[in-house]
Amino acid sequence: MGLKEYMNDIVEAVTTTAKGMRITARYGVDPKEEVTLQYPEERWEIPAGYRGFLNNDVKTCTACTMCVKVCPVDCISLESVRGADKKMVLASYDINIGRCMYCGLCVEVCPPKSLKHTSGYEMASVARGELILHFIAEDAAEIKARVARQVAEAAVKAEAAKAADLSSDLSSEAARAAKEEAAKGEPKK
Amino acid sequence: MTVRTDALPTQEMTINMGPQHPSTHGVLRVILTTDGEVVTRAVPDVGYLHRGLEKIGERVTYAQFMPFTDRLDYLAAMNCNCAWAWAVEKLAKIEVPERAEYLRVIVCELNRISSHLIAFGSYTADMGAFTPFLYAIRERERVNDLFEMLCGNRLTYNYARVGGVSGDAPPGFLEKTKEFLDYFEPKLDEYNNLISYNKIFVHRLANVAVIPAEEAVAYGLTGPNLRGSGVPFDLRKDEPYSVYPKFDFKVCVGTGERGTPGDCFDRYMVRINEMRESVRIVRQAVARIPDGPVMAKVPRLFKPPAGEAYFRSECPRGETGIYLISDGSVNPFRLKIRTGSFVAMNIFEKVTRGLMIADIVAVIGSLDIILPEIDR
Amino acid sequence: MEALARSLMNAVPLLAGVPLWAVTLLLIVAAAVVILVFALTFEGVGSLVLRKVAGDIQARIGPNRVGPNGILQFLADGVKLVLKEDIIPANADRLLFKLAPYFVFVGSFAAFVVVPFGVGLIAADLNIGIYYVMAVTSLVVVGVLLAGWASNNKWALLGGMRAAAQIVSYEIPVGMALIPAVLVAGSLSLQDIVRSQGGLLGIFGWNLFHNPFSFFSFFLYFTAAQAETNQTPFDLPEAESELVSGYNVEYSGIRFGLFFLAEFGDMFIVAALATACFLGGWNVPFFHAATLPWIWGNLLSLGVFLAKAFTMVLIMMWVRWTLPRLRVDQLMRMAWKYLVPLTFINLLGVSLWLLVFKGKGIPAMIASLFG
Ligand code: SF4
Ligand code: SF4
Repeated sequence: MGLKEYMNDIVEAVTTTAKGMRITARYGVDPKEEVTLQYPEERWEIPAGYRGFLNNDVKTCTACTMCVKVCPVDCISLESVRGADKKMVLASYDINIGRCMYCGLCVEVCPPKSLKHTSGYEMASVARGELILHFIAEDAAEIKARVARQVAEAAVKAEAAKAADLSSDLSSEAARAAKEEAAKGEPKK
Repeated sequence: MTVRTDALPTQEMTINMGPQHPSTHGVLRVILTTDGEVVTRAVPDVGYLHRGLEKIGERVTYAQFMPFTDRLDYLAAMNCNCAWAWAVEKLAKIEVPERAEYLRVIVCELNRISSHLIAFGSYTADMGAFTPFLYAIRERERVNDLFEMLCGNRLTYNYARVGGVSGDAPPGFLEKTKEFLDYFEPKLDEYNNLISYNKIFVHRLANVAVIPAEEAVAYGLTGPNLRGSGVPFDLRKDEPYSVYPKFDFKVCVGTGERGTPGDCFDRYMVRINEMRESVRIVRQAVARIPDGPVMAKVPRLFKPPAGEAYFRSECPRGETGIYLISDGSVNPFRLKIRTGSFVAMNIFEKVTRGLMIADIVAVIGSLDIILPEIDR
Repeated sequence: MEALARSLMNAVPLLAGVPLWAVTLLLIVAAAVVILVFALTFEGVGSLVLRKVAGDIQARIGPNRVGPNGILQFLADGVKLVLKEDIIPANADRLLFKLAPYFVFVGSFAAFVVVPFGVGLIAADLNIGIYYVMAVTSLVVVGVLLAGWASNNKWALLGGMRAAAQIVSYEIPVGMALIPAVLVAGSLSLQDIVRSQGGLLGIFGWNLFHNPFSFFSFFLYFTAAQAETNQTPFDLPEAESELVSGYNVEYSGIRFGLFFLAEFGDMFIVAALATACFLGGWNVPFFHAATLPWIWGNLLSLGVFLAKAFTMVLIMMWVRWTLPRLRVDQLMRMAWKYLVPLTFINLLGVSLWLLVFKGKGIPAMIASLFG
């Protein structure tokens, strides 16, 4: 190593250090350069298409199970039963958001657009099992029992109507009684 | 640099570096055999992050695998998304609308910038300068903001779709992108002044872990690691896909500007220069993006014809090749992913022989590996 | 101390009956407590400032949750460190493991004794002040080495080894770079060195401007001292990104706290020595602080000294957040190929200068030109 190189080394070390220090100093004294967002107090503006927690508008959901099928990680589970009017009735609709990866595939396929992303992103729990969103508050078994009852009643009604039709010669008393019973059962639900 | 160790008889020591170590970029484990500070052997032990992505790919549909590609390389999820989309499109011969291709190129290059930013930032942090890391993160946040606006997520984008992209650019996105580019370009000079040409930094990287060009080719290195050795190979140029042929950009190669061609500094510099080229590409794409649909007609029950396809694209960490065999059903019959980091790991043991412990960190950083890509 | 005790006994008639040794002992304890309190406060506040400076430089805010604007953060940190479980690894050498932090802490804290804070504010004005500092701070290396060895952890061992090599090597340039100040003053006592930079030349009385060689000496000292005290960019023994945390990787709780405090203590010692030896110490420019009443003169000089020293500490932090870390062989090369020869040349230059110009500095010569 020649003397020239030796001196060059020193000079270069000093100048490059000075250059770097000038930049850090500028950041150090310029308060405008601070970019930290003080999170709980300050929040950033969430854009329109943000893929946050999922929300299912259970009133419009048709229980078509498209979302269940498309979800790559199987985190949607839904139970449904066929209602009296032949439409599917949701008994339960749960999303395990601890497992969900917010990919949005389920939202894309939902035919009535009832499943949507919200802008929510904050949730904490001490156990993974608690990270489940229940969209139907009522117990699934209860709903199922209720719908089953409805179906059964409708069946009875239909049966009765048929019976009335077929055996119009039978005493109209019985038919009326059956009808009344069916009508009474209705408002209970 | 040679360190004489023959004068004193010493005992070798085996050190376990990782899987929890600040500088192994995840859960890489390196088994070091050292003689004092000098490493006589460094054997990488990978597999701590193995999730069986390829097997998962065979059990889910083509569309369902898209979110999993986010996890292939979480720092460049857009590139992996698009690679998967391009591969499936090649398999099923789907024509993609041009606007979608432009959007893909924009997001890929933006993601390349943000991925290289992390590479740059974590590299400087590995070298002991913590400040540039935070500057890099700050810039990356801006890219994330753009992506959030575009697709609703900040890390796992799941933006591309087989046949296009999931959504058109929202109003204001292209302007914001331009704004970012204007803001970002001068920052590169700042980084160079702050750290790249810093004497200590140069000394730490120059002439360390030199990979000669032939060796780089022989080991199958790709991406910036290969170009760092002076081989001007870039899939965007050499095997053009998408709309890349329409853009004017340079392939950055290592020139040995501070040492030997193919050393850590060259690999580092290639990344810095590539960010500049990516900025150029995005500028051109934003200026020329055509109007039109962003999604081709793809049947909901998508079943590609039986056959196979291999598609490779230039991801920030090298070539990401996707090999697909379809048997005509809704799931791929076989899926194999070739990733740049995994291949880069092969040469690790060879180039680290005789280096010092601090250099091991430098080599890991300069190869810019990411563990999910290695373990998949 | 004895002299002070005697004068105190003369001044306060109440103490007349107390034996001399008791008063002396009392004074020693009092001085130690004052210094300890100062050192701990500085170390606490220093850690806060360090983090604030880091925040500013890195486009962040830094700690701002505890107390207004985060100024009580260091208390929270301290409480946390004290309350944390003190873990001793199963296979560690328990005695040495426990001993090591004290060596480090004592090594750095003992140096505070001879720091000339003001005209009369010095715990012990040893006539071998500089020598004492050099000697006592060497204790740190023992502690670090012990910590590295006793932890029974390979990273810690590497850190300890690095520290030993580094501190021992850098002791030479540090000493050599300080000697010019000693030569100019003609004394090893830090008070004498500071006094020699007084006079009415203002800042030009400082050793920094005495002659070109002493000017360079200051920068050489500052660089070498940062390495000697393991500050970034020479923090190889800790080397977060390489050795995880180096020699103190196995320490937790208050034992880690002692290492941590010692680091800041070292920082202050470096700044204080640089101030005392090159930047005029407590001398107020164009003013004789010693002519004021005892209280005011001391307060003023204390303020000036602390201002200078804290500026130096700030510069150290600034450097710390800018530069990357050297590699271990480069560190050694820097010491033996650059710093040692340069400090020797400097020493030679200063000696020749003093010989040729009869101890006069450039500013003094210029001043004498104008009468
Ligand atoms: S967002 Fe994705 S992971 Fe979550 S429920 Fe929908 S499809 Fe499943
Ligand atoms: S896809 Fe939509 S409508 Fe169908 S089950 Fe899911 S949420 Fe309900």
